[in-house]
Amino acid sequence: MTDLSIQEASDIARSYRIIRDKRKRRATITKHLFLAICSLVMVYPLIWMIVSSVKPDNEIFGNISLWPSEFIWQNYPDGWEGLFLSFTVFYKNSIIVTVLAVIGNTLSCSFAAYAFARLEFKGKNIFFALMMMTLMIPYHVVLIPQYLLFLKIGWVNTFLPLIVPRFLAGDAFFIFLMVQFFRQLPRDLDEAAMIDGCSPFKIYWAVILPLSLPALATTAIFTFIWTWEDFLGPLIYLNDIRDYTVPLALRNFISQDSVSMFGQLFAMSILSIVPIFIFFIFFQKFIIRGIATSGLK
Amino acid sequence: MKKFFAKNGPGYFFLIPWFIGFFCLALGPILYSLYLSFTKYNIFKPPKWIGLENYEFMFLYDDRFWKSLEVTFSYVFMSVPGKLIFALAVAMLLNKGMRAIGFYRALFYLPSILGGSIAVAILWKQLFEYNGVINTLLAKIGIEGPYWLNDPNYSLYTLVMLGMWQFGSPMLIFIAGLRAIPRELYEAAEIDAASKWKQFYAITLPLLAPVIFFNLVLQMIDAFKTFSSAFIISGGAGAPLDSLNFITVYLYNEAFAFYRMGYASSLAWILMLIIAIFTGVAFFSSRYWVHYENERD
Amino acid sequence: MSGVNLNKVVKSYGDLEIIHGIDLEVHDGEFLVLVGPSGCGKSTLLRMIAGLEEITDGTISIGDRIVNDVPAAQRNLSMVFQSYALYPHMTVRKNLAFGLGNLKMPKAEIAKRVAEAAKILQIEELLERKPRQLSGGQKQRVAIGRSIVREPELFLFDEPLSNLDAELRVQMRVELAGLYQRLGTTMIYVTHDQIEAMTLATRIVVLQAGRVEQVGTPFNLYNYPQNKFVATFIGSPKMNMIEGKVNNKGLDLPDFGQISLPATAPKSGAIHFGIRPEQFTIVKSGSAEGDATSTGEITLIEYLGSELFLYITLPSGHIVLVQASSQTQYKTGEQLTLSLTAKNAHYFGEDDLRIPLYDEKK
Ligand SMILES: Nc1ncnc2c1ncn2[C@@H]1O[C@H](COP(=O)(O)OP(=O)(O)O)[C@@H](O)[C@H]1O
Ligand SMILES: [Mg+2]
Repeated sequence: MTDLSIQEASDIARSYRIIRDKRKRRATITKHLFLAICSLVMVYPLIWMIVSSVKPDNEIFGNISLWPSEFIWQNYPDGWEGLFLSFTVFYKNSIIVTVLAVIGNTLSCSFAAYAFARLEFKGKNIFFALMMMTLMIPYHVVLIPQYLLFLKIGWVNTFLPLIVPRFLAGDAFFIFLMVQFFRQLPRDLDEAAMIDGCSPFKIYWAVILPLSLPALATTAIFTFIWTWEDFLGPLIYLNDIRDYTVPLALRNFISQDSVSMFGQLFAMSILSIVPIFIFFIFFQKFIIRGIATSGLK
Repeated sequence: MKKFFAKNGPGYFFLIPWFIGFFCLALGPILYSLYLSFTKYNIFKPPKWIGLENYEFMFLYDDRFWKSLEVTFSYVFMSVPGKLIFALAVAMLLNKGMRAIGFYRALFYLPSILGGSIAVAILWKQLFEYNGVINTLLAKIGIEGPYWLNDPNYSLYTLVMLGMWQFGSPMLIFIAGLRAIPRELYEAAEIDAASKWKQFYAITLPLLAPVIFFNLVLQMIDAFKTFSSAFIISGGAGAPLDSLNFITVYLYNEAFAFYRMGYASSLAWILMLIIAIFTGVAFFSSRYWVHYENERD
Repeated sequence: MSGVNLNKVVKSYGDLEIIHGIDLEVHDGEFLVLVGPSGCGKSTLLRMIAGLEEITDGTISIGDRIVNDVPAAQRNLSMVFQSYALYPHMTVRKNLAFGLGNLKMPKAEIAKRVAEAAKILQIEELLERKPRQLSGGQKQRVAIGRSIVREPELFLFDEPLSNLDAELRVQMRVELAGLYQRLGTTMIYVTHDQIEAMTLATRIVVLQAGRVEQVGTPFNLYNYPQNKFVATFIGSPKMNMIEGKVNNKGLDLPDFGQISLPATAPKSGAIHFGIRPEQFTIVKSGSAEGDATSTGEITLIEYLGSELFLYITLPSGHIVLVQASSQTQYKTGEQLTLSLTAKNAHYFGEDDLRIPLYDEKK
């Protein structure tokens, strides 16, 4: 072992530090580069769609450029009226269905969740287990009997099959989410409210719900997005174009097979996801927390 | 009796919507679907009991059924691992308190939330046209792209890529999981001079196992149920050559294009069994590779 | 009018019996404190009175009405919780008014009562705040305020002070005592802190493992504990227990030797000899008073300012706690002679029950 002078030792230490910092910096740069490339790949299709919505149709294909030779804004108004009916009708339909579905799902799931989280009754554990089991059932299994049921009671070709089930707490996932949320509210609050003369309904309405806004918001936001995007339901239950929701109308656009309307198709596609996009921007916090804590899609 | 209701009444009251939903829209339909799967039923005439004939036909004679299984399984086995590996890799990159994490997180999640929409399915279809963006890009680096949408050898890959593009939600769950791993473990490993790879292998993977498992089950179930994108990209019929005839698409067409409700019900039951088996296997096998922190080995 | 009567009250969770048939009479207008170690069933008992917990067996009446099946809201009582249980989403004013609103009381009357309660508790300037903007002590006041606006016949408190720091606790204790004097309403108060119990109560109920050990005034409990448990539970620091043996000359104590017993004493067996720290006398320079003495070594000194506690290891290895004047200086390791007087001590038989040897003479 050789003895190092303090000077030598600190020189060596410094050179090590420099090497380490350099390596660290290089790693950071690589990482950011990689992430930037990933981001580009991720958003390129979306940007391409946005740009294509204002491109002349002959520039959409065989062309990766993101800058059109001229901006055809006319694609938007033309697309809006591009089908047999105006998109105003489809948006109105989508909004009716979505708003009612959101209200129904949030209310009915919070109802059931309140019972499971806060009230005592015979058979609670069995019902809870049954509720959790419905999580496992793929929609496709109940699809046909539900269709037959709604056909029988004359609800096919109305919005009812898309709305009424939402008022019947069919979404076990949200019930579970809210049960978890309600359970972590202090029970003392319910009891204080009981002594303050509240009925169970009043406790639910005046104490539990106002304190559960995050869970309600998560439920409402996801219900909104899913209902807005829903395709299978409207596809099965709505046959009259006057009842079409936006996704169904979009499908009509492509099945018309007129090659010259791609700009309009993209324009309408973009408009169809604008509400979701806006929700995403505004409620990112709820959405991300909702997924991270419960695995919502 | 009066006492029984005083005690249990509120609980049952809050569960009324759920009860109706459960019996009319879940339990009832499941049982009815099971019954229908043993019948021949075209809506116009009452169901006719034919015993196991549907299943017999399905397994012994129906090549389209086998093809749809092949397509579905191929899709699940390609898209789910790809998605999860990608999600984990990006989550690990984003994990270490870096700048702009919120931005990347939101950006990478965006496709997941838009992914279910018809707009994105339409976009995807156009991207992979023969003269679409993908092939134009490939041509730039000297590769002649295939007829993605018309060649049965390639069509499924477009959907796999669409699936992988939506790696955002497992990524968010992974990020939450990684956050929960105590930093000291890595610090201790650092002191023990464990390489990064060793740290990943010896700390991250085992501690993340429950989260990986959770993601795996969730994504698998989801992948088995893929419908809208396959429906749109395959033009509604599983084309070309049934190469996109997912079991869900097949089922839909059997039921709502050909009104073979009985046969479609038996397909639905097979789908449900497959999902149940895979979930069951995942849960069973998890005993061997998932260790929860608060349990003793 | 608003006394409370418990008759053979039992509480079980499944097969597990938590409260074993308690009989208790709470007089109208008294401040009754339920005290006992953690987990003995105090809260459970209180919550049964409140109507938050079902009564497995027996009856509870408030006033002359059996309330077993009366919902909490209709029992005309109010309760202060350990966690305060203020509604986080309502302002202090709304918190106070919420219960009154449920009674369909006129708005003016509600406002009047809220203002009154706020004044009593000095929380007037907090009325527009949300609970999370309040300190612990302020929350506590609001919680009490919420219960007094209702003007109930009966106040219940479940360890209301245990989330406060020591200083505030003393202050709130004084305020609670003042409030009781002002309102004169029946109060039932649960605590595990025997000092709180001693200072607030008109009567104390000592509970252990779901049973009543003793009911009495603080004076009674301190001076005539009916069994060994109450003797060691009440009083701080704890009473010393020395295990003696009865022989034909009286009682034979380790370290202190023989003391004589009155004729009513048992003639054989063991006796738990209890003596409080302040009942020892420290013997200076040989002039022994008292009935027996022993000399031991100071192992630890706890200096509390006005007083002083000495831990003294006696020859047998037994350690006793002795209160001494803080005017004298002591050193650890010092030898000290203690004397005790037989009639100041407490005697408990092998069944742990009090043997009332000197009780009349005191
Ligand atoms: N819901 C319950 N289920 C089972 N046991 C309980 C329940 N609530 C309380 N206990 C038990 O009852 C006993 C008394 O509890 P409690 O009245 O809260 O005691 P404390 O005197 O500390 O207030 C404890 O042993 C507790 O474990
Ligand atoms: Mg308690």
